[in-house]
Amino acid sequence: MAKQFKPSIVTANDLVEGTAVFLGSEGWSGDISNAMIALTPEQAEEFEALGQRHVKNNEVVEPYLISVSLDSGAPVPLLRREQIRAAGAPTFAYGQAA
Amino acid sequence: MYRYDEFDHKFVAERSAEFRDQVRRRLAGHLTEAEFKPLRLMNGLYLQLHAYMLRIAIPYGTLSSRQMRQLAMIAEKWDRGYGHFTTRQNIQFNWPKLKDVPDIIDALAEVEMHAIQTSGNCIRNTTSDPYSAVAAEEIEDPRLTAELIRQWSSLHPEFTFLGRKFKIAVTGSAEDRTALKLHDIGIQIVERSGEVGYRVLVGGGMGRTPMIAKELRGFLPREDLLPYLEAALRVYNLHGRRDNKYKARIKILVHELGIDTYRDQVEAEFATMDRAAVSAPSEEVERIRAYFMPPVLAERPSVSPFIDQMKSASPDFARWLDRNTFAHKVQGYVAATVSLKPIGGAPGDATAEQMRAIADIAESFSRDEMRVTHEQNIVLPHVAIEDLYKVYSGLAAIGLDAPNKGLVTDIIACPGLDYCALATARSIPVAQRIAERFADTSRQAEIGPLQIKISGCINACGHHHVGHIGILGLDKAGVESYQITLGGDATESAALGARTGPGFGYDEVPQVIETVIDTYLSLREHPRETFLQAFRRVGMEPFKDALYASA
Repeated sequence: MAKQFKPSIVTANDLVEGTAVFLGSEGWSGDISNAMIALTPEQAEEFEALGQRHVKNNEVVEPYLISVSLDSGAPVPLLRREQIRAAGAPTFAYGQAA
Repeated sequence: MYRYDEFDHKFVAERSAEFRDQVRRRLAGHLTEAEFKPLRLMNGLYLQLHAYMLRIAIPYGTLSSRQMRQLAMIAEKWDRGYGHFTTRQNIQFNWPKLKDVPDIIDALAEVEMHAIQTSGNCIRNTTSDPYSAVAAEEIEDPRLTAELIRQWSSLHPEFTFLGRKFKIAVTGSAEDRTALKLHDIGIQIVERSGEVGYRVLVGGGMGRTPMIAKELRGFLPREDLLPYLEAALRVYNLHGRRDNKYKARIKILVHELGIDTYRDQVEAEFATMDRAAVSAPSEEVERIRAYFMPPVLAERPSVSPFIDQMKSASPDFARWLDRNTFAHKVQGYVAATVSLKPIGGAPGDATAEQMRAIADIAESFSRDEMRVTHEQNIVLPHVAIEDLYKVYSGLAAIGLDAPNKGLVTDIIACPGLDYCALATARSIPVAQRIAERFADTSRQAEIGPLQIKISGCINACGHHHVGHIGILGLDKAGVESYQITLGGDATESAALGARTGPGFGYDEVPQVIETVIDTYLSLREHPRETFLQAFRRVGMEPFKDALYASA
């Protein structure tokens, strides 16, 4: 049985900064709420292909699709790994804040 | 300390210029990520969850104050004001930008440091005993040998593309503080009828298939060191399978061939190779040896009335003295451990301000020298007993006075899912919750020596297999799950921990650890019976019963 499709967005790391970024209608953003949400497998494929084109333009590194929940309005990644990436920081106070 | 010669300077400078050009070409689009990735990895640059991560080699864990200050400068100028000391005696910066990395590498070269061979399938930074030139039972400073290996293995053309990474540790003492038996090759300096040579171990490692190293040679004459290592690596490299990364480490080869067959092949290679071409010339050995002459420390009284007085006045200082100092071979001195495990902190992290303060303390009171330990602490190797209160006060001022070396809150933890692209679960916050639960120093002292080691995935950077209590974080259908192992040991009596049973949830771990420790406290025969001794005496059952009885 085919896996049920879940709403998805495209993420990657910014080439220069290394930070997690998300593909939006106006390009890559560090803010996940700006991400374009694919609601069908076809859309997901299209967005991913768009992400790959940006690799060629040297904007980002290794884009890939992640599944998100839309329950709260804004996209929230389903995997904890991606939640931590989207937050842009460890889950504890780090560095000077420690 | 070792100082670069002209060759070292030239080698690092050339490499730095080469990498600057590679970064330039990457940013200009002349190199794709597929082309650039192996190049950046050869220079210690990873891409992690949130950012690039630069891993810098600290040869055999030894740092001068000048180097430590430069690391602090780098942390402030190009990172977020802190660095992370690792279980391989290295330091990692978690937030560098790609465009800044060439400048960081140049700043490292200014203080004779680099990030070469801190990643990739090559011979990594050789680690060593943090109590080198300190421990009374040491036969010889192992850093002389480690430095020879560093020079031999740096850009060794035959071993730049091994089947997998290769880690070597060297100890000069029988009492092992290097996790020697968990290395691809472990070298122990030994003495046989007055001659100093090497005992060579092979095939240890952690990761998904942990193994304890086996003896390859009981005694190797010292002049044969590099040819013998070359023979051992050559046999591995020629066999080395490259089809399955989990079977590519030398531990698997030694296990599958059997140590006797592997040894026969190494000895055959060793017998026919041109040893003289590989051996270090004796004048070069002597040149290096001169850098590792022990500092001239005038003997002092082993008792200081001032220190005794401060001990009575301050129970915290007394506890710190008791836990964080180690007897020095020269009377009147100790090695003092700066614990990078304050309660609630991230194990191994130090801010730029802390790095500078430690550098200042080392300059004033420890002959300008520090050692990074594989337990993610910093050792001040040569402190006069008389100066200990000043050292302690300096550390207290920066929050690094935890009197917990070797105790339950001195936890090793890998970066885990908070930073690492490979991780499957968090480890630092788990360490923090456990440390908070056992924050009471008198309770820690009552529990006694106990090593907790946490890894956020099966690669075992957090050494969980050899923790007295090991914690392995996994992903179970999207939920963090932690397997507990008991009875591991990283020392000369090395042992792999045994699993208690099914794993536990993230929030359950502190209580699980408390249950294990309460079980130990209830069954130990006397307060001096350590957790590990008690576990070896009673086995797994009482702990299993306590953990799973109610289930």
